[in-house]
Amino acid sequence: MKQHSTERLHDSANASNVADSTTPVSGPLIAATLSPVLGFYTLMITHHISRVSKALDKTVHAYGHWIPGSLGSGPDGSIGSYSGKESLALMVWLLSWGIFHVLWRKQELPVNRWIPIFLGAMAFVTLCFFHPFIDPILMLLLSSGG
Amino acid sequence: MSTEQYLHGNLAKVLVRTQAVLALVILLLLAGLDFFFPTSYSLQAGLHGISSISAVVAATYLTHRAYALIRGVHINFKSLRYWTLGATALNFLGAVSGNWIYMRYRGENGPKDWILANAPAFHNYLMEFKEFISLFPFPLMAAVSFILYYYGDAIQVRRDLTQFVGITILVSWLFLLLGFVAGLVLAKLHFV
Repeated sequence: MKQHSTERLHDSANASNVADSTTPVSGPLIAATLSPVLGFYTLMITHHISRVSKALDKTVHAYGHWIPGSLGSGPDGSIGSYSGKESLALMVWLLSWGIFHVLWRKQELPVNRWIPIFLGAMAFVTLCFFHPFIDPILMLLLSSGG
Repeated sequence: MSTEQYLHGNLAKVLVRTQAVLALVILLLLAGLDFFFPTSYSLQAGLHGISSISAVVAATYLTHRAYALIRGVHINFKSLRYWTLGATALNFLGAVSGNWIYMRYRGENGPKDWILANAPAFHNYLMEFKEFISLFPFPLMAAVSFILYYYGDAIQVRRDLTQFVGITILVSWLFLLLGFVAGLVLAKLHFV
């Protein structure tokens, strides 16, 4: 009986994009898991931007001056422009989460289609942090861009 | 159940709990002894090590729950919520303490300078990879915690949602383990 009612809930959730208030919908789950992925891509893009030139590294670094330890020298060191990358990623993660949550909180979105996209996006962003993989691609992009 | 069966069952329970506690304590010594290392940065090293090991232990335990979620087996969601919240807190502590120890890593005559002079690939490939992927587990586990608290027990009627929670826990664990092993390798190469 319980199994039967679960199946019915599945059916009703899939039948319409906007479910009734008693059915748990997938929108908030997808918003909560898409936003960190966007944050990770921000981290990756800002990291590679900061490697292009000292000036771009300074620009990225400026976003992270609020983080303790972002500035400094000597034996104690500092985390440098890593603070800016973290700050921008944090901003994109939390802002996009808020926006998508508000937009999708009553929406039924296809979870089964989100699984391969989520895993693929995670695998690709991970590879993009591995320099032997990404550096030849970046060199090609930079040389073709003039 | 006979008295003998009861005693044997009870003995197994006591032994398994003792084993778990001993394993945790001994494992924590791996980083806990950092507090007594002859360096000015022992506090940062010990704190980062303890929080990272604790996060790995909590996440590894959670992967067992993740498979139950993926298979659709009934589990105690109240307990799962507490565990994911705890794991989120530990991941946050790991990331913050990671920032703190990273300062010294990049400091004058710190591990970065030594590694670049002696084994540059470990910084250029391993550290440049580790410092970013180590930030992944916290937001992923925060998302899992949010989902479990937001939906509450109602999530049980949606197998696809619980499956996705299980998958996210596994992904978070993978990055935690990657970052942990990379961090250990770098610390073995040159301590702070």
